[in-house]
Amino acid sequence: MKTITARLLAGSTAIAAVATFAAAANAADTVRIAINQSPWLDSFIEMVDLYESETGNTVELDVVPFTGLLEKIRNSLRAADGDYDIVNVNALWLPEIYSAGYLKPLAEIREGYKLGDGTLSYGGTTYWDSTTGTFSEDGQLLGVPLNGNVQVLYYNSEIYDRLNLEVPQDWDGLIANAKAIQAEGDAYGFVPRAARGSIVYNFTPYAYTQNGAYVTVKGDKSVEVSINSPEVLKALEVYLTLANEAGPPNPGAIAQGEMIQLMSTGRGAQTIGVIAAWGSFENPNESRVAGKIEATLIPAGPTGTRASSAGHWVAGIAGNVSPERQDAALDFLDWFQGLDVQTAYVRAGGVPVRGDLGKTDLGQSEEFRFIEAYSENAANAVMALPFPQANEVSDALALRLNQAVIGELEPAAALNDAADAIAEIFEREGYDVSRLPAL
Amino acid sequence: MSAASLHSRTAGKPSAGIPPTGRGGAPRKARRNRRWMIFSLLPVVLFFVVLSVFPVFNLIGTSLYDVRWSGGDSTYHFIGLENYRQLFSTEVIYWAGLRNTLIFAVCAVTAQMILGFSMALAVKRAGAMGRTLLTGIFLLPIVVPPIVIGSVWRLVLGREFGLANGFLGLFGIPPVDWLGNPDIALASVIFVDVWHWTPFVFILMLAGLEAIDEEVLEAARMDVRSSWQEIRHVIVPMMLPTIVITLMFRIILSFKVFDEVYLLTSGGPGTATEVVNFSIYRVFFNQDRVGYGSAMAVITLFGMTLAIIVGRGLLVRKRKNDERKLEQ
Repeated sequence: MKTITARLLAGSTAIAAVATFAAAANAADTVRIAINQSPWLDSFIEMVDLYESETGNTVELDVVPFTGLLEKIRNSLRAADGDYDIVNVNALWLPEIYSAGYLKPLAEIREGYKLGDGTLSYGGTTYWDSTTGTFSEDGQLLGVPLNGNVQVLYYNSEIYDRLNLEVPQDWDGLIANAKAIQAEGDAYGFVPRAARGSIVYNFTPYAYTQNGAYVTVKGDKSVEVSINSPEVLKALEVYLTLANEAGPPNPGAIAQGEMIQLMSTGRGAQTIGVIAAWGSFENPNESRVAGKIEATLIPAGPTGTRASSAGHWVAGIAGNVSPERQDAALDFLDWFQGLDVQTAYVRAGGVPVRGDLGKTDLGQSEEFRFIEAYSENAANAVMALPFPQANEVSDALALRLNQAVIGELEPAAALNDAADAIAEIFEREGYDVSRLPAL
Repeated sequence: MSAASLHSRTAGKPSAGIPPTGRGGAPRKARRNRRWMIFSLLPVVLFFVVLSVFPVFNLIGTSLYDVRWSGGDSTYHFIGLENYRQLFSTEVIYWAGLRNTLIFAVCAVTAQMILGFSMALAVKRAGAMGRTLLTGIFLLPIVVPPIVIGSVWRLVLGREFGLANGFLGLFGIPPVDWLGNPDIALASVIFVDVWHWTPFVFILMLAGLEAIDEEVLEAARMDVRSSWQEIRHVIVPMMLPTIVITLMFRIILSFKVFDEVYLLTSGGPGTATEVVNFSIYRVFFNQDRVGYGSAMAVITLFGMTLAIIVGRGLLVRKRKNDERKLEQ
């Protein structure tokens, strides 16, 4: 009898515990976030801990590998009741998620809500204009950036000092430096990130500083495919010069991991890479060049145009959760943009989403000397594929650019092929497509 | 020997162990047995229909639609064979992937069959101690998780810091770009797959070898002049059912290759290591084109099924011819 009573008691306690946990998870002040596994995740978790200690609210993180996150976000947003209040969306996925109408406009959660002063919008990518089907600050505010990640130019200052090189202001200067370093023979002059999965993002500043564009959105369901313009061809020639005349022998196989490896071992002297790589270069346990790598503005094009590519993450609030949950989610995102919080975020190893930290003591310190270069490049960030077909266009373009790098296609043929493939995608989707003459 | 061919050979002949039944009771008992067979097999059949047949029909159905998600809801637009038209007229990456997958399947499976069979023979002929040691060593790669295999081989085959090039460097051989050179990247991936999956062939072959009656082997050895003749004319024919089953398993599994390619090369450089599963994954999950991805999956599924049916048919015909020759 005693045993039965004990089992009943244990069972009741377990049920009560589960019910309490479920109730806690359902409480509106518990914010559920779908987020990717990343090098900056630990710093974000520190901010979550800080938020919980300051407010008494709780935040639950569902951490998912990068490759699985998009599908998880789609599944949650497409359901009648979402599993997540906040979804962390990569820049490339934003047009698909925005255009499908899954996210709640922030001004509909809290009337008149705007991004905090100093918070970056990364080329207006936190806004979506549904009438033109692209990013625009004239549209609705649909998210708050959660981690900034733009490309910067990195260089090894020790090699620069040894060879008396100047920080390049334009592409010719970068090529000259790369060739001088390559000629010395101790390091590769330049490390491109030209693997198929990386090249579109990596190539974007080259194309946009030459005043080129992959596709120009001209209005609702109307685009011009401009990838095969003389400007983009010039950009590709610059890219190939750096890759083939001053780069490692296998540029078409270099993804982010290889690029970081080459730079942090001192085998690579210059690269255009994401600011999130800074931590790997500066960590003496991972890097042989800690303290010797500097970040600066990506070179300007012939008319002085500067550009970087936006690869940030934006947190959107799900439309399929209760208004109380949406409100609690916005509380967290609003708190996250604060100057003190962002300063703490950087100290914890995160990349800030504010553009004004360069002026603070933090930005002036030796340890965080990347902040100024980051802020300047973030101000020039462009989102090269601002339409719902971004993933498909990116795949089509990546293949041709990579084929140009490995010598399977001539530069002009690669861009013409890419233009054909991209035009076909938009025509299939019912767009009014205009084209440039073949190169 | 397949279950079907076993059945065809024994049908109609009373089994030695079972006495023939009387005339009156037989049909009734047979009916009862048949009912019981149907009843007992029904759950398995239902299970098979729900988990295998239904998804395939669903896949075929979905391949005829353009699936969109908007305003939090899905819409299915019937477009007939449009996805197939696109696949056959404008698709580039999938067909490169199919070509690579075929090359991958033929090369990897051939190497695995030869190596796995040789390793099984070596173990069979080793002493007790050697057998335990060799089996342990040979089986190691198959217990390593694919993600670890990808990471390990990426480190080994890396151009700049890889172990393989470090080793070649000791002999003054310049570094080889195992994964970055489009001419040899697929061969490198095949090599890793052979390393990974040969133990699977080895263990099945060893089981097949162990099942051969030692007395039969000893008797057969009297008629052959060399080990090679023993393998060719005695062991291989006796192991044919095991070889066919193993071959089919490996062909099916090699068409499913994904993780090694994903981790080692992500399909590049260019389309050098693209495989069909990678193309389908990209279209289905990355581009969210469910209908088009389904069409790719349907073509792959039917192509693979056809290849297996034809391959199996050829093997069965060869076996029948051999048996006929023996009978003559």
